[in-house]
Amino acid sequence: MKRYFIYLPLLLCSLAACREAVVPTGTTDGPPVIFPDYAGVTVPATIAPLNFRVESADYAAIHAVIEGSRSGRIEARGGRRAAVSIPPGEWKRLLADNTGSDLSVTVSLRQPGGWISYRPFAIHVSGYPADYGLVYRLIPPAYEVYGKMGIYQRDLSDFTQTALLENTLIPGNCVNCHSFRQGRPEQMSLHIRGPYNATVLTSDGGVDLYDTKTEQTIANCVYPYWHPSGGYIAYSVNETRQVFHEQRDKRIEVVDARSDVVVYDIGKNELLSCPQITSQDAFETFPAFSPDGRTLYFCSAAARVIPEEYDQVRYDLCSIAFDPESGTFGQEVDTLVRAAATGKSVSFPRPSYDGRYLMYTLSDYGNFSIWHKEADLWLLDLHAGLTRELTEVNSSDVESYHSWSSNSRWFVFSSRRTDGLYSRPFLASVDEAGNVSKPFMLPQKDPGMYDSSLYSFNIPEFVTGRVELDARIVGRKARSGERIQMKYSSRAVSGRGL
Amino acid sequence: MKKQQLSAISYVNASLSFIFGVSVFVFFGYFYTYHLAYQEQYQMFLFTSDYMAETTHRVGGLSEYLSRFLTQFYYTPLHGALIIATLLTLMQRQLLSAALHLAGREKNGWASLTFVPSIFYWILLCDENYMLTGVISVIMALSAFLWSRSVRQARVRAACSLIMIPLLYALAGGAVVVFGILFIIAEAVKGGLSIRQRCLTAAGNALLLALSPLSAQYFFPQYPLAKLLTGADYYRYQSVFPFSLLLLWLIIPAIVAGFRLLPAVKKGWRLWLPAGMQGVLLVFLAVLGVSGAADWKKEEVMRYDYYVRQGNWEHIISMADREAPASPLSVAFLNLALCRQGLMPDRMFHYFQNGAEGLLPSFVRDFSIPLMAGEVYYHLGFINTAQRLAFEAMEAIPDFQRSARSIKRLAETSLINGDYEVSRKYLRILLHTLYYSEWAAETLSCLHDEERIEANPEWAGLRKYRTKTDFLFSEKEKDMMLGLLLGQDPSNRPAYEYLMAYCLLTKDMERFSLYYPLGRDIHYRTIPKSYQEALIYIWGLTNNTTAGVPYAVSDEVKRQVEDYRRIYVSYPAAEQMLKSRFSGTYWYYLHYRK
Repeated sequence: MKRYFIYLPLLLCSLAACREAVVPTGTTDGPPVIFPDYAGVTVPATIAPLNFRVESADYAAIHAVIEGSRSGRIEARGGRRAAVSIPPGEWKRLLADNTGSDLSVTVSLRQPGGWISYRPFAIHVSGYPADYGLVYRLIPPAYEVYGKMGIYQRDLSDFTQTALLENTLIPGNCVNCHSFRQGRPEQMSLHIRGPYNATVLTSDGGVDLYDTKTEQTIANCVYPYWHPSGGYIAYSVNETRQVFHEQRDKRIEVVDARSDVVVYDIGKNELLSCPQITSQDAFETFPAFSPDGRTLYFCSAAARVIPEEYDQVRYDLCSIAFDPESGTFGQEVDTLVRAAATGKSVSFPRPSYDGRYLMYTLSDYGNFSIWHKEADLWLLDLHAGLTRELTEVNSSDVESYHSWSSNSRWFVFSSRRTDGLYSRPFLASVDEAGNVSKPFMLPQKDPGMYDSSLYSFNIPEFVTGRVELDARIVGRKARSGERIQMKYSSRAVSGRGL
Repeated sequence: MKKQQLSAISYVNASLSFIFGVSVFVFFGYFYTYHLAYQEQYQMFLFTSDYMAETTHRVGGLSEYLSRFLTQFYYTPLHGALIIATLLTLMQRQLLSAALHLAGREKNGWASLTFVPSIFYWILLCDENYMLTGVISVIMALSAFLWSRSVRQARVRAACSLIMIPLLYALAGGAVVVFGILFIIAEAVKGGLSIRQRCLTAAGNALLLALSPLSAQYFFPQYPLAKLLTGADYYRYQSVFPFSLLLLWLIIPAIVAGFRLLPAVKKGWRLWLPAGMQGVLLVFLAVLGVSGAADWKKEEVMRYDYYVRQGNWEHIISMADREAPASPLSVAFLNLALCRQGLMPDRMFHYFQNGAEGLLPSFVRDFSIPLMAGEVYYHLGFINTAQRLAFEAMEAIPDFQRSARSIKRLAETSLINGDYEVSRKYLRILLHTLYYSEWAAETLSCLHDEERIEANPEWAGLRKYRTKTDFLFSEKEKDMMLGLLLGQDPSNRPAYEYLMAYCLLTKDMERFSLYYPLGRDIHYRTIPKSYQEALIYIWGLTNNTTAGVPYAVSDEVKRQVEDYRRIYVSYPAAEQMLKSRFSGTYWYYLHYRK
């Protein structure tokens, strides 16, 4: 037995010797082209290790030295064409020690002539905390048919991804439109579409399934947005269809033939609305409450003949007053961004929770911007009334869905910039002065996951804590047909004259 | 029974196993070949640790992984036939070993009974939705049982069984019941345990069999209990409980128990006669079962599809010459082959035609039809539609597998559309496959290399034909879409011929007349035969004589139409009279086909 104790240090020494010392024999002028692109990004101090690989050169091994401007130093390595694997514990300490300052990353590659070093690049560690994690749907960028999909949560501080609800539990159904009350994990809304059609609402551990279609509304409720009080959820009801392009740069057009906005009063089990948001002459969609709960933002377009005039539908950004005490709406609709007048179209209005900004997507027409390569993010300063393109985060490909962190200092958005088809989540920060940082892609233990995964990250939403959803209860209730029927309020007045 | 006689029976049994294996091999390798090629395309086995982890991290994951590993070899159907034959024979041999172990070698004369499960699974495999996982999981269960019998100490063996059940459930899925029941039977009839211990072991095994799927709910909360009962995907459709397999799992222990109960056959005719009768009966059952289960109509479609994938147009036409296809998809493939060989307008009505569905099949929410139908759209230059159908087909695969064929088509269509990065993504995935990696590596090297892409006749041709301006796909206006394609390139011969064929098959003479002049840039040496027949028919609607027809219709066609008209108007039973001479004409299709 004693012999083993003698051999053990020798074995450890020999293993350590395998870790070849990195002595650069040459340097290059520029920084390396890395994937994901983390050069010059700003990250929260709780982010998972930013493992990356070098794209611009072939290599037998990769080595990175990450040094904090205040203190700390990490060495990370990777194999042939692989990503560096940053030790999570050391990374966590390095970020904690350098919050509010920069990290410097020096990359070296082992190539036939020896180790080549690149010019270092910086990563800024933000002083703004980010939320616990993200919730997103993983779904292939499919057309009409869907296979396996699910809604997942991801802890931002490590690489843990757990399934909240997969459609393996309810075969043949689609799960979509997850939404939280200002990122709080206790209150969640999501839809099941298919044979087990239902809207799932969770509140403080309870799970209820609803039938949201009423005689007075044109379809099931979709695109939820929680009222800050938790007492209401705004939905739109859309008669949606898809058409398919034959030209190379376009694939799918998702169009609404009719759409209205409604507000669900959870306590009274009543759908509320008013003629201004249920007009026959307009398509109203994508509702969102202001942080004080007294304004309802939505997109509105003049009605067109669908699908013939699908490319003539252009949405403005509008708002209407909402009184949460009485559940009534104001008389006037304000138009905040007249996009239609400039030949553009607004979708996904999302006000920051501090009430300062409203972020939206701008595309050439329609509202389903994920299929529009020209779609970009824009930011409306609600205090100054000024709107601007978010050039800091936009790319030549799609930027579409976006969501704010609970402190309004971070936002996550989906972009198809990596390959033009598969949506990936990117995070960026906004400081008090409205300066927006270079976005970074959600880190993965192996960034090669983004190459091999045939799923898009759909509807990325921040959550402030871990979502506790018992999928088995949802599955059981879904299969049982147990539903609460939503009722259309007698107080609601529809513009459709129903 | 004498040792010599026993070895003679063993030799006969081994020979029977061999003959059985050869029969299975011949059936799948030479008669049911295209079912195997079909199976292979609805999965994509990747040699990556992620794929292995993803596939095995579920109940029955190992059997699933092994099944997919073996199914990839169906790419070469003879290899697939060999795999199936080997597995079914192995299952029979294992069952024979298990039965003889418990009943004694003197029961060797009943060996034919052990072929029943293998024949049963052979019959099941005639349904393309039964996966190889089922037979692999049974082999795993039988292997575990035979191993457990090698443990000599009864208590250790009993303890092993309590570990084996959850383990086997995790690795092989619901087939663990085969092990569980066999173990209980074995301990009851041939164990070293006391009665009390036997009862306790049986109760423990039964309890574990019941508890395994129940406890699995906690580890796999995203699956319903009904799914966890079987675990692995024995059948392609998730919503269908494979009762046939449940029957198989019960037959196996029943046979083993039956061996114990059956009398030991002695020698001479009392040995060979029942054995021979069993053999004859089994052959009869196998022939009856397999011929009843085999779907030759599907096999025909799969055969046409196989040769379309190969681009072997001549073979498709020669197949149709031997026996005209009947299903809309087979007819669509034949029409595609005729078009690719420049024969469609002259010869399409020589074969049975199935209306517009036999030309441009409609989209169906299914995993097989869109993938096959996509071939037609692809070769016509409807690249986005071909891409969509490949994607839809893959998403519709009921057991959520990926399709190597779909991924290949997605890579091709993305490349043709100039979407190189997404094409690269697909190609990189295909690099991890066995049969598609070489093509993927070659294609990867072409990305962004416009010269090499243009040098590829297929890609260059499709880039030339695809639409340059946008329009929306319309299932109801396929002629309009073909017209738009033709409008952009008047020399697009396939688009013109499909447009004309569409009008002819839908019997829309008005549009045929309207579109016919669009073919002036195709520069036919003579007007194709079916067009002549349609033109002269249209002329005949307003004229009593063929004289003066303003098209270069041949004298032969003029004579034929006169004869056809005379019979058609003169005889009430004209269809039969016309069939022998005119079934290959457009007129016959117009009057007597749907």
